[in-house]
Amino acid sequence: MIALDQVCKSYGSTPVLRGCTTAIGRGEVVVICGPSGSGKSTLIKCINGLEPYQSGSIRVDGVEVGARTTDLPKMRTRVGMVFQHFELYPHMSALDNIVLAQVHALKRKRSEAEARAQALLARVDLAEKADAYPIDLSGGQQQRVAIARALALDPEAMLFDEPTSALDPEMISEVLDVMIDLAGDGMTMAVVTHEMGFARRVADRVIFMDRGEIVEDAPKEQFFSAPKSQRAREFLSKILAH
Amino acid sequence: MSTFKLDWAPIWDNRDLLVEGFITTIVLSALGLLLALIIGVIVGTAGTSKARLLRSGAAAYVELMRNIPLLVHMYFWYMGLAFLQLPPFACAVAALALYSGAYVAEIVRSGIGAVPQGQRLAALATGLTPLQAFLLVIYPQALRIITPSLASIFSQLIKDSSLASVITVAELTYQASSIEGQTFRTFEVYITISLLYLLLVSVVTYGLLLVPGARDDVAQRVSDA
Amino acid sequence: MPEVILKNLPFLLSGLRLTAEIALWSILGGTALGLVIGVVRHLRVPVLAQLFALYIGFVRGTPLLVMLFICYFGLPALLAYKTSAYGAAVVGFTLFIAAYLAEDIRTGLRSVRPGLAQAALATGLTRAQALRLVVVPIALRNVIPTLFNQYVRLFKFTSVASVIGVNEFTGSAMLVNGREFAPITIIGFVALTYLVLCFAISSVGRLLYARLAVRT
Repeated sequence: MIALDQVCKSYGSTPVLRGCTTAIGRGEVVVICGPSGSGKSTLIKCINGLEPYQSGSIRVDGVEVGARTTDLPKMRTRVGMVFQHFELYPHMSALDNIVLAQVHALKRKRSEAEARAQALLARVDLAEKADAYPIDLSGGQQQRVAIARALALDPEAMLFDEPTSALDPEMISEVLDVMIDLAGDGMTMAVVTHEMGFARRVADRVIFMDRGEIVEDAPKEQFFSAPKSQRAREFLSKILAH
Repeated sequence: MSTFKLDWAPIWDNRDLLVEGFITTIVLSALGLLLALIIGVIVGTAGTSKARLLRSGAAAYVELMRNIPLLVHMYFWYMGLAFLQLPPFACAVAALALYSGAYVAEIVRSGIGAVPQGQRLAALATGLTPLQAFLLVIYPQALRIITPSLASIFSQLIKDSSLASVITVAELTYQASSIEGQTFRTFEVYITISLLYLLLVSVVTYGLLLVPGARDDVAQRVSDA
Repeated sequence: MPEVILKNLPFLLSGLRLTAEIALWSILGGTALGLVIGVVRHLRVPVLAQLFALYIGFVRGTPLLVMLFICYFGLPALLAYKTSAYGAAVVGFTLFIAAYLAEDIRTGLRSVRPGLAQAALATGLTRAQALRLVVVPIALRNVIPTLFNQYVRLFKFTSVASVIGVNEFTGSAMLVNGREFAPITIIGFVALTYLVLCFAISSVGRLLYARLAVRT
């Protein structure tokens, strides 16, 4: 349902994405990994139009993301995103964070939005924190609220940009658990992460990027047991060393 | 009903009055600045002292001087202390010095506070006396930190000097009013002196960029206090 | 309280009321205008942003007294529209303070983490909604101390309106002094009043900031 075709992007004269081509089917869970600077975060931000791209095509459910006529806000309600630094609105409670887009982007009634928000908070195990402000929540709790905020729009796919990289180790699993649940419910997911344990458990496919290119794109068993490229092998050995 | 036509000729005709006023403004501002700096450094340093009395005294000075409008300061020296028979120019310098001095004091105080504690300890550890440590190590660093804020206080002072016209000091604004009274070219004369003030302020602001060690973001960070 | 003050208290108080009125209108108008200008400059709206930059540059380099003269004497001559000194003062102060507030607000907008705006967009909000619901509220709360600094400054500046004939507090006091000739007492009273009121305004700002500041 998400199709990328020869996507190229540069910041000025520096190329960041070089001819990336791949596809993510409905219900698939794809993990994107690679060394820093490989362009993985940029790629994911291109999918929902937060970053523009110079050439190539990205289609979400048939809609071309880069087209001038595309209604980006509307498209973004169908593809949710979770950020590395949570990005919860600090001036609003957890509940209001989840309600905001429902009311203003989906035009839901406030009472309905609040009910949905409560339900989602319960789903990520934070029902009692509805009135808490982000400053009062731990990193893991904030990220879970962020996931609920994205889910509140009933998206068809979810994009995760290094969701656990900014978390203290003891909080990583609470967030991964939520993501594993989501995958189990059949959500289409693209996850940029270093958490190979998560990949091994839940991913269908693994994409390895290096210096702006998709170097490897294989089903997970194949990726972990017999990666085709030298760079992927080096990366795996470094990551899995500890 | 005045005309829509702008006529700059009368302004040009009176340019010597404007030049006189401009020079008076410069001298007034320069003197006010100098005194404000001296007062500000003294009071600001007192504000960092360990003695509670000095600290409270400095804080009281700052609050008192800052929260009283400059115009009231000017009236105080010109009318309140009329028995001293100070010339208006001196009154204006005194008012500007005490008022702006309070702002400088605040900046100096926080600038000194911004120099890392370790610097003072290191200086003392190498055998410098406390006074030497202050003068040779702390002050220079504090100066570098506060230069952008000082620039904004200076430019504010130049503009504030226009209030001296109210107590009959023949600076730029005063001359402009007198030219306006003669030629009725209100819009033109006031726009002209606006541009002159703008010029003066810009020269001072960018001049401070030349101070060795001043931070590169002076121009961006100069915003009036 | 000294006799000369007591005797003229009603007159002085009416002057003070005028000061408060001028300050209030200028603060409200200036903040609204400053917000519009700040947002336009932040978004770099073509043409408008540059025009506003010129306006800000001009006002910030001009003494307040000269601004008032322009508004009271100059503009009516140019626009063939006579206005009262009070009206000219409010317009002048509003235009004056808006130029400063606009820059402070723009700095505040810039200081909001770009990730927050991105997150808002990612949930399907339009740029306008993201600005209105997320970026501007956070920016405004963060710059409350700076804004109130400007408000106190404006309050002091209202004294300059006396030069164009508005009988606000300072002007009224000077008139009383002309009659009674007790300059030290009267000016002392004026100074003390400004001191107390400026302190009050600062305190309101501090309270507001304590309650509304965005804690991160």
